[in-house]
Amino acid sequence: MHKLVFNEWLKLFKKRSFFIAYLVIAVFVIGAAYFMAKLSEDAVFNARDFVFMAMSPSGFGTLLLFLVVVGTAGVVSKEYGQGTIKLLLIRAQSRGKILLSKYISIVLYILSLMLTMFVISFITGTIAFGAGAPSVSWNDIAQTALYTLVYTVIYATITFMLGVLTRSTGITVGLTMFLMMLEGLIVGLLAKYSFTKYLIFANTDLSKYVDGGSPLPGMTMSFSVIVIAVYMALFLMVSFVTFKKRDVA
Amino acid sequence: MNKAVNQVGTGPANGTGKVVLQVNGVTKQIGHKKIVDRLSFDIHQGEIVGLLGPNGAGKTTTIRMIVGLIGMSEGDVLIKGESVKRHFAKAIAHVGGIIENPEFYPYMTGYDNLKQYQRMAKGITEERIAEVVRLVGLQDAMKKRVKAYSLGMRQRLGIAQALLHNPSILILDEPTNGLDPAGIREMRDYLKRIAREEGIAILVSSHLLSEMELMCSRVVVIQEGKLVTVRTLGDSSAVKEEEQIQVMLRVNDAEQAKLRLVRMEELRVVGIDTDRNQVTIAVHDRDIPNVIDVLRNEGVALYRIEEMKESLEDEFLKWTGGSQSA
Repeated sequence: MHKLVFNEWLKLFKKRSFFIAYLVIAVFVIGAAYFMAKLSEDAVFNARDFVFMAMSPSGFGTLLLFLVVVGTAGVVSKEYGQGTIKLLLIRAQSRGKILLSKYISIVLYILSLMLTMFVISFITGTIAFGAGAPSVSWNDIAQTALYTLVYTVIYATITFMLGVLTRSTGITVGLTMFLMMLEGLIVGLLAKYSFTKYLIFANTDLSKYVDGGSPLPGMTMSFSVIVIAVYMALFLMVSFVTFKKRDVA
Repeated sequence: MNKAVNQVGTGPANGTGKVVLQVNGVTKQIGHKKIVDRLSFDIHQGEIVGLLGPNGAGKTTTIRMIVGLIGMSEGDVLIKGESVKRHFAKAIAHVGGIIENPEFYPYMTGYDNLKQYQRMAKGITEERIAEVVRLVGLQDAMKKRVKAYSLGMRQRLGIAQALLHNPSILILDEPTNGLDPAGIREMRDYLKRIAREEGIAILVSSHLLSEMELMCSRVVVIQEGKLVTVRTLGDSSAVKEEEQIQVMLRVNDAEQAKLRLVRMEELRVVGIDTDRNQVTIAVHDRDIPNVIDVLRNEGVALYRIEEMKESLEDEFLKWTGGSQSA
């Protein structure tokens, strides 16, 4: 299995565009630090606060998500687009394993981007703002990073499923971006209906529960975790069943 | 898989080698339409078998069912006795495939691409990679990205990946599609050599009949998903003593020649073409000298004597009713 994951990782890594995502993170983080240091010289800000901002879903989480969707939308659909699916599926490996290795490589990609985000924001923050007196603990940072991870993995899984279903990288990126944009709007417009809380879009951002808040009245953290788990199981099931059953014509 | 999968070939062209591939009553039904209908045939070690049929006969579907890319509605395919349906990984481990033009990851080098497939199979050593690369003559291109490869080079890399895991059977779907005549010839030479030297069975689908004729020892002809015939392609040197062959005689006067020839019991006049002064007869090899003597005594001038071989194309059109293009 680890060899299959390694294969999938190489398929991402060997592309010339692979490093662009990491570069974009560096540019955005360093740029943000520069402007924040320039514009608000008197602001009480420090390295840890900066890292927190970088790692939170409402901070650079959106940038991260964008990079992940663009970077991984082709993991399944490109195999069809390039025609490499034919040689991939006539190996002595089950289709389930092949698809699982692709999913694992996506999660690894997300983790690598987050780690990059953390390291760059920590270094940049320390240089730009100094250690100071942080208003957040490392524990808070770990927590918000976890929320970002959950948020990103949910959308990556949707992207993954759409990639399997549509076999088109373009449509996959387009649809996922569309859903990302409309997420807030859908929840806002449908807020008055009780079924809305069961939509995945109302539950993706667990950071809304911090300090006693909730996306919609009556929702709790454990409720959202269960909803997320159910949706994820569904998305993955649809992906795997489709991938295993489908004829490659 | 670690052990050498293919016993090096002893098998003559067909029939006597071990059965490597068995297609047993395979059916593919989509809606009410049966694209492939209870198709059965066997392939033995060391033989090259062509899968022929007009466009839309179900060749590609059949090949893709054999390698598991398309599911079977009914029937099963056994590769060295392993079921593709039930033990896919075990069965497919004996198969090397090129499905249409082989497609690779264009941004990776040839070597990186082969490494991908090495990691997906058991027991492929670096030496084996070097060996197949040498066999297809791509040593100098291994460090180049595949997107810089010509189609011919990609075909050769396709053969390399198919041979990587020492398969017992190669399955090729339209392998010469898009190749120029030199490329086609090169491909044919590789395949013949592989079959001969490594005892690998080869199943190849193509619509290029002349190509199949040069390459295959047997052809399986299908039409509308059904088996039409299985034919052994004999080479002319092996014509049996007792078989009559058709011979065309070009003479100065076809009528006169015919009148004399019909009186001979040992031959049959099959046709006459007075415009071109040709008479076609069916005759045994041993009687031909006699025919020549008889015609000379009759005063008929003999210009040319030629064996009329039915080309695969002629036969093919006969089998498939000639209605569709090949």
